[in-house]
Amino acid sequence: MGGADDEAWEPHLLEEDDFLREVQSFSFWFEAVEGYLEDRPMGFDPDLTDTHFEPAEREQLITLLANYCVGETAALEASSGLVRLAANNRSQIFMATQAADEARHVEVFRRRLAALGVSDVDEVIATRANPALIEFRRHLLAFVDEGQWDLAVFAQNVLLETMEDTVFRFHQSTADPVTAQILEGVVADERRHLGFGENDLGRRLARDPARRHDLAQVRMDLDPLVLNSFEATYRDLGLRRDEFPDLGRSYLEAVERLGLDT
Amino acid sequence: MSAEFNPVTATDTVTVPDTGLDEDDTPRRYYDLDETGFREVPKRWRKFYRHWQGPGDELAPNEVICPVCKVVIRSRRELRPGDRVYCMPCMSRLVVVRHPDGHLEAEVVY
Amino acid sequence: MSARDPGTERGSEIQGVLMADFLSQYSIQRWLEMCPQGYLDGTVYGHDPDETEPEELLEIGSLREASIAVTVQLIAGERCALAASSGLINHAPDDMSKTFLATQTLDEARHVEIFTQRLIDLGVKREDVNSTVADLANPNLVRFAEVLLEKVSSGDFVAGVVGQNIILEGMAFSVFEMLQAASAGNNPKFAQTLAGTIADERRHVGFGENSIGGLIRQHPEKRAEVEKMQAEMAYYMLATFTEMFSDAGTRMEEAKQLAMAKGENPMEGVSWHGADLATVTPSEMEAVLADTVLGEFKTRLGRIGIDYQTPKVPA
Repeated sequence: MGGADDEAWEPHLLEEDDFLREVQSFSFWFEAVEGYLEDRPMGFDPDLTDTHFEPAEREQLITLLANYCVGETAALEASSGLVRLAANNRSQIFMATQAADEARHVEVFRRRLAALGVSDVDEVIATRANPALIEFRRHLLAFVDEGQWDLAVFAQNVLLETMEDTVFRFHQSTADPVTAQILEGVVADERRHLGFGENDLGRRLARDPARRHDLAQVRMDLDPLVLNSFEATYRDLGLRRDEFPDLGRSYLEAVERLGLDT
Repeated sequence: MSAEFNPVTATDTVTVPDTGLDEDDTPRRYYDLDETGFREVPKRWRKFYRHWQGPGDELAPNEVICPVCKVVIRSRRELRPGDRVYCMPCMSRLVVVRHPDGHLEAEVVY
Repeated sequence: MSARDPGTERGSEIQGVLMADFLSQYSIQRWLEMCPQGYLDGTVYGHDPDETEPEELLEIGSLREASIAVTVQLIAGERCALAASSGLINHAPDDMSKTFLATQTLDEARHVEIFTQRLIDLGVKREDVNSTVADLANPNLVRFAEVLLEKVSSGDFVAGVVGQNIILEGMAFSVFEMLQAASAGNNPKFAQTLAGTIADERRHVGFGENSIGGLIRQHPEKRAEVEKMQAEMAYYMLATFTEMFSDAGTRMEEAKQLAMAKGENPMEGVSWHGADLATVTPSEMEAVLADTVLGEFKTRLGRIGIDYQTPKVPA
């Protein structure tokens, strides 16, 4: 892949195969995450002073983070299971990087909970988890266990990741500085995941349009679960319904691009 | 299980969308790209991307927004309909098209 | 635990705290600092960007073929490890074990990538990689992988971790060390690639031993099944060694003779586990490798409370 030093050269000139080889490699992943995590151990600048939270604010943040942990743990379990189902080595390597990303998200959110004074993180997650999200996790892992790569990728990388991306971005804009930096790194990771999911499914559906029917069915089953759980997140952020940012817009745009909107 | 299908090695049978090719004979403008503070891809690729600042962030003629992840994709050359661009942060292949209102946008090519 | 036994209770509490601290070393953060920002910093596919395969290795047909055959076995083993480590995440009993296995999954994916790249560096066309792996992967190694993946598929975490992090990784650790010793003098690129994988394997075998000992004590009923799996995997491993040394080993010997005829001996003064690599025959090397790996199995399994089972000797 020579030419990178040539003044006229740019990534858009790569052949598609070379492009995919580059972006779905381990090297790309670690140079990318190094860019935004190198000076942020545990996802934030260690010199950052943490905010003093009022008790109600603290409780609100704990509930949010507990639910983020549920979503990220589901993604960790699913993406690791998908490594074995990947059709080729490049997708396998990508899924392995996604599994590590999801594990990092679980780690940084759990550490944040501990830093907020939560002594039993597991217990807090268990008691505050939104039932709709738990139900979503059950469906997602069932797809993985059944070896349904495309249904699992749709549920995880399109549905879950797109909505997480919207919620995390919104929360990042209102959060305390430490949580905001943590979310910024998570959003940067999500970009890879949702892009991989949409592009992988897009290629598959172009070759097998009949599969749209199955994916549309999955969408009908799972949309309410994810929408409900993330609407609950907005409520936890203290928003009234008429103040909710448009949770579904990015997701609906992705669904439309994939032809799953009817 | 659909694991037998190989999306990477399989031939791409997707027809590139109608890009509304302009018959623009004027020479393209070329740009020197500087770093933008975007750090989500390896160093050598960073200047080709920047964070979108939201509505009001006007795009230069060598820029287009990735519809998948909303990052601004940049090229050394002025972009025209039919140009292929890649969004490395989200791994999408895109083609530049002209929107009915005249502005350029990118469409995903699966 | 008896409340009347404060000493034991305190000891257990301390042990619990220490184990939690110990497991916290297996974090993504620590992994990032050690691996991509540590010993892999500045490398490309695990080696310095300027390093290449030696010219004579690419020019001498028998040596190149032998290197391709060996690299294929490394890819096959790493593909198995990738499938196993990712498959075990869902069955891990706690978050820290899940986190560690996520880093291991990524390590294994990297190993698949760098050994695949080596195959390409050795002249195999990219589009021929999978057919080359399918043609040259030793059937006994494939069976070895299947025994392990059956345990992973059935959700057996204890057997899966013993099979992967002690048996598979223990084998890989010794094989990589042997190959690194053999490459140090004449192929710095491959030697450096292996050094990075050995550093990774060290973490994997450490996790295997440290995480599984307690689980074996909690589930003594698993011991017989795990011991049976160990004997079976060890049998297929020995059969793989036998075939590899009688095939690739013979060709490597030819290449060594060729190099010596030109007055060169890159193995001069190099030894591995007491074997002088300048003079050792393939069958002697096979015996040293088998003894080393089996000895390691015995020691590691003993530490976690599993009785090592002597495998049947392959015909």
